[in-house]
Amino acid sequence: MTTKFRSVLGLALLLVLVQIATIPPAAAQAVNSNSGTVTLNATLGESLTVSVTSGNVVNFTLASNTAVNAGSGPTVVTTVWVLKPGRTQVTVWAWVANTAAALTGTGGAPATIPASAVSITTTAGLNAPAVANGALNTTLSGAAGAPAFITAGGSGLNFATKAITGLNKASLIGASLAWNIDTTIVPQLPADTYTGTVNIQAQATP
Amino acid sequence: MPLGKLCIHWRKGPRAGRLPIPATGLLLMFALLVFPGSAHAQARISNAGTVTLNATMSESLSVGVTSGNIVDFNLLPNTAANPGNVPSVITTSWVLKPGRTSVTVWAWVPNRGAALTGAGPGGQLIPARAVSITTTPGLNAPLVASGALNATRGGRGGAPAFITAGGSGLNFATKAITPANRISVISASLAWNINTTVRPRLQADTYTGTVNIQAEATP
Repeated sequence: MTTKFRSVLGLALLLVLVQIATIPPAAAQAVNSNSGTVTLNATLGESLTVSVTSGNVVNFTLASNTAVNAGSGPTVVTTVWVLKPGRTQVTVWAWVANTAAALTGTGGAPATIPASAVSITTTAGLNAPAVANGALNTTLSGAAGAPAFITAGGSGLNFATKAITGLNKASLIGASLAWNIDTTIVPQLPADTYTGTVNIQAQATP
Repeated sequence: MPLGKLCIHWRKGPRAGRLPIPATGLLLMFALLVFPGSAHAQARISNAGTVTLNATMSESLSVGVTSGNIVDFNLLPNTAANPGNVPSVITTSWVLKPGRTSVTVWAWVPNRGAALTGAGPGGQLIPARAVSITTTPGLNAPLVASGALNATRGGRGGAPAFITAGGSGLNFATKAITPANRISVISASLAWNINTTVRPRLQADTYTGTVNIQAEATP
């Protein structure tokens, strides 16, 4: 073994010793994993519900050819909603499927009381909606502003309206409806018992 | 093909080409085709509550003696014509159900043997057959009849139920009911007469009686 070879071997050994001495202990260094993800999806569906809180049956004792034949009691309607951003208005309607026959008599060829003879006087309730009075023929099906749920041949009255803002996207309103039947509209209305159904329905737009 | 783009082959053959469309644009087109109206554009509609309206128009039939509810007679013995001093005007109004076809108006007394009764002891009687009516139609021109108050006896065919047993009366006005007059009114004027030839030996006295005026709608 030459002297030169011994020097090289000694230097190599020295380098190995230096490398070993500078390696840090394994337990002192953290090991990080890859990054997993969890996606959270939450849906709050829109809802719009009307309830006839009281007065879902209204009786009238009619006098012939008389403008004022008041119903036995008012109908209280509550409308509750949870709406998406973008909705600007909730309207509540009373409507009948047949404008010519809001109420129908008995028998084979019964007489009818048209929607023009049945009217509502509205009093604002919870959260003070804007209210309107009028007969059930105020808005005809298919006319401008008529909601789609008023079927062909029907008509109704938009008796309550509430503007929707950022503050009331989840809210409710109440309204009280006083009913009247004007028999001067049908001066030859025969004595009989007449029955009809008025639908109460709401719409949020746009 | 660059990342993020899809290509549509729009022609076959040597001049074939590619129409590159951004993937997001294609997805948007697909969404518009599948969902032509987005949820945001559609109005939200509620459930339908209902209110039941029940209205009752009751039947009514009323008679009113508009004038001449007291009629005086100066009687002559054994004389056919002893007219009353005034006519009686009768107004009949009604609100009827479908199915009614006729309104009849009657003058009747409960005792056909004694339409009027004398005041004195053992007072004599003037029977219904001696008291007659001559009828003139008024409002809405009812069909009228004239005759004595014994024309229809209580309980007989055609007599209304309100003419009690032993009584009799006269149907002096009739109106046919159609859908056009289920709510209407008629009137008639009754000229009264007492024929004392029916009781030729009628004694001098003051005689008093009450004639009922009543209407019936049938059937």
